[in-house]
Amino acid sequence: MTAAYAGATSNHARRVVVTGIGMVTAVGIGREQTWSALLAGANGIRPITLCDPTDLDSTIAGEVPDFNVLQYVDRKDARRMDRFVHLAIAASGEAIAHAGLDIPAHRDEIGVMIGAGIGGLTTLEEQFHVLFEKGPGRVSPFLVPMFIPDMAAGQVSIQFGARGPNYNPVSACASGADALGTALEVIRRGDAVAMLAGGAESCVTRMGIASFASSRALSTKRNHDPEHASRPYDLERDGFVLGEGAATLVLEELEFARARGAHILAEFVSYGQSADAFHVTQPSEHGEGAARAMQIALRKAGIPASDIDYINPHGTSTPLNDKFETMSIKTVFGEAARAIPISSTKSMVGHTLGACGGIEAAVTVLSIRDQRIHQTRNLLVPDPDCDLDYVPEGPRDLAIDWAMSNSLGFGGHNSSLVFRRWDG
Amino acid sequence: MPRVVVTGLGLLTPLGNDAPTTWDGLIAGRSGITRLTSFDASAYDCPIAGELHDWDPTAWVEPKLLRRIDRSSAMAMAAARLAVTDAALDVRAEPPGAVGVLLGTGIGGAHLIVENQQLLDDKGPRRVSPFLIAHMLPDTASGLVAIALGADGANFAITAACSTGGAAIGEAAELIARGDAQVMLAGGFEAPLRPVYYAGFQAMRALAEHPDPAQASRPFDRDRNGFVLSEGAGVLVLEALEHAQARGAHIYAECSGSATTNDAFDMVAAAEDGRGIQRAMERALARAAVAPDTVDYINAHGTGTPLNDRVETRAIRALFGAHADRLLVSSTKSALGHMMGAAGAVEAAIAALACHYQLVPPTINYATPDPDCDLDYVPNTARRATVRHAMSTSVGLGGHNSALVFARWEDHSRLEDNS
Repeated sequence: MTAAYAGATSNHARRVVVTGIGMVTAVGIGREQTWSALLAGANGIRPITLCDPTDLDSTIAGEVPDFNVLQYVDRKDARRMDRFVHLAIAASGEAIAHAGLDIPAHRDEIGVMIGAGIGGLTTLEEQFHVLFEKGPGRVSPFLVPMFIPDMAAGQVSIQFGARGPNYNPVSACASGADALGTALEVIRRGDAVAMLAGGAESCVTRMGIASFASSRALSTKRNHDPEHASRPYDLERDGFVLGEGAATLVLEELEFARARGAHILAEFVSYGQSADAFHVTQPSEHGEGAARAMQIALRKAGIPASDIDYINPHGTSTPLNDKFETMSIKTVFGEAARAIPISSTKSMVGHTLGACGGIEAAVTVLSIRDQRIHQTRNLLVPDPDCDLDYVPEGPRDLAIDWAMSNSLGFGGHNSSLVFRRWDG
Repeated sequence: MPRVVVTGLGLLTPLGNDAPTTWDGLIAGRSGITRLTSFDASAYDCPIAGELHDWDPTAWVEPKLLRRIDRSSAMAMAAARLAVTDAALDVRAEPPGAVGVLLGTGIGGAHLIVENQQLLDDKGPRRVSPFLIAHMLPDTASGLVAIALGADGANFAITAACSTGGAAIGEAAELIARGDAQVMLAGGFEAPLRPVYYAGFQAMRALAEHPDPAQASRPFDRDRNGFVLSEGAGVLVLEALEHAQARGAHIYAECSGSATTNDAFDMVAAAEDGRGIQRAMERALARAAVAPDTVDYINAHGTGTPLNDRVETRAIRALFGAHADRLLVSSTKSALGHMMGAAGAVEAAIAALACHYQLVPPTINYATPDPDCDLDYVPNTARRATVRHAMSTSVGLGGHNSALVFARWEDHSRLEDNS
């Protein structure tokens, strides 16, 4: 067997830090609202209201409740954006304010990468019906610009005036993580001094639910009991619950952040990425692909696996994902795997697809900031195949120097991000 | 930092189902635009398009898989296989993790989602295909190519509307330059010829109208009135120079620099001053350490919309100053139409070929000069020229801009052999 390509270790002088976070999720509009709800073990899964779910196999979702876009965008602009863009703008505005970043002063040196896995499904479905019922002459001139998945990155740039590197890295459910990882590399190579990066998704539509349900990825057994439906690592898990949301992180080159006196939340140290090259929807054997992404991220961080104190996993609540992800963690961490707390944010907000990598990276950074981690909700019946420490009991104080956030996507994409506590 | 070279090309375009046929068609000044046949378009104003002609997906994808996947993914898989064959690259013989895939698309699986929306509306949610969700996603083609060829390195997609292909190739080159891969299969693909999207572009008043389809796409011409929607795919094999040399690969050109920017101006219209695309070109040249006056050819975005071509001309003048009058600028969309997420990739391949053959494809359908578009657009006839550096530029809805720089590759070893 050929030895694996050794790859890069750490060939960049520039360091990158996180200085701002914005989040919109099913458990809260706003960073601290979301974070305190997660620490409280809140549930964000409820009956669907965004579309008519009557004949759908799954009738529950992690919708963002009471989201009023007019708090963030004026009415005319808002009508020309899909909901996933609304969520991205809300999260990005909060992140920019949190960082105290003056974008106009550095507008050509600040870019945007917001991962969205699908795009404006709500708009597309509406316009399908216009086309079928009223003919092509009645289709909206904003259909294309509202549907295309790069528009979160595009509109955030337009709303906030960031003119640097800009596009949407897509890798299905790993999109948010790849957006962050790519943005990290953009700063490292000197193409920007700061990046707004994360993920956004809103696909709680009839087609969104029908297509995931048809692929047998969704939980369908607990429509009557939504708050127990998303149960990563639990023996009785039967699929994920679709969620919507957005998170944006402000990433900055360290010297730029220092020079402007920014408050640093954590260092974003490394990014590893791999392809299973195995199957479009099933994980590779023993989670081999996911393990490689983690190993690459660790190698690029220059640390042994044993340095990792906390893992925010992909943890979707599908039977296959949680089993194979557990195997991949054991492959990378060996015996030490049992000593590393692992908690799934999806147990409370559902699976937000392209947004989850952003949301979970934000949660990982807040865990480092507060030295405290949230639980995996609904882990009630242990699964012998999932035998690590998933923090089922409640929030936990934890000394964290190094933490990892993992995302895995349809298509066999694996991404792993490593963050480090900032000592100042 | 490793240098990155282009060692393989795979193209599917309205002018041909591989790179050589496409290139020959471009150089001959042919148009690939015809009346639209992909769906019944009788209710549309001017149904013309750039479709693949006589392309047989069953030659590229096994039947069971072909039934599940979107047309756009099948096109991407074919283009990737063509590129790998052209590069004489044995992906499975490469070390694990060395070969990655980064293919972009503007929208993803347009055909599958349209079919399934009809099923959902007519027959209910349980009739929606179990393969829809996985196969409509923009990143699925990157995954399918990885599976088909055994490329298990870095893998994702990029979407940036019509700037997608350029952004994907640029990021893939950066992956190699920073050592995260030795080879990347990079490019873009799009199969957008479905009624809902066609209607959307028509509603934007973005589509060209002309009684003769072959003359509809007329970038930089005074009488241009929009772009022609096309399908296509382009995959480039990008490779670390040392890796290419060690295996004796044929090199088309060096991929020496790239950049993306955003106008931060409007979701649909480009900023009139062209500053966004100008900055992308400027940064790509800086990244490549190439002096602007050594650029001899720009394969422009040149869509054929009144605004785009004017803005792009202004940006080129602003950046290149007096050298703008010596530059050759052509839009191959005049012959191929606008392949959306594939456009930047196919045009990058064309820029690399221009460096390789020292030959510049024309802007066809150029008849009447526009005072706002006053560069040398290589009207109608290909031109033999010294091409030291060629650029490919792309501009997308959402304010995205990308620029790539390619450098002529002079094979010094061969020159020495001949001396």
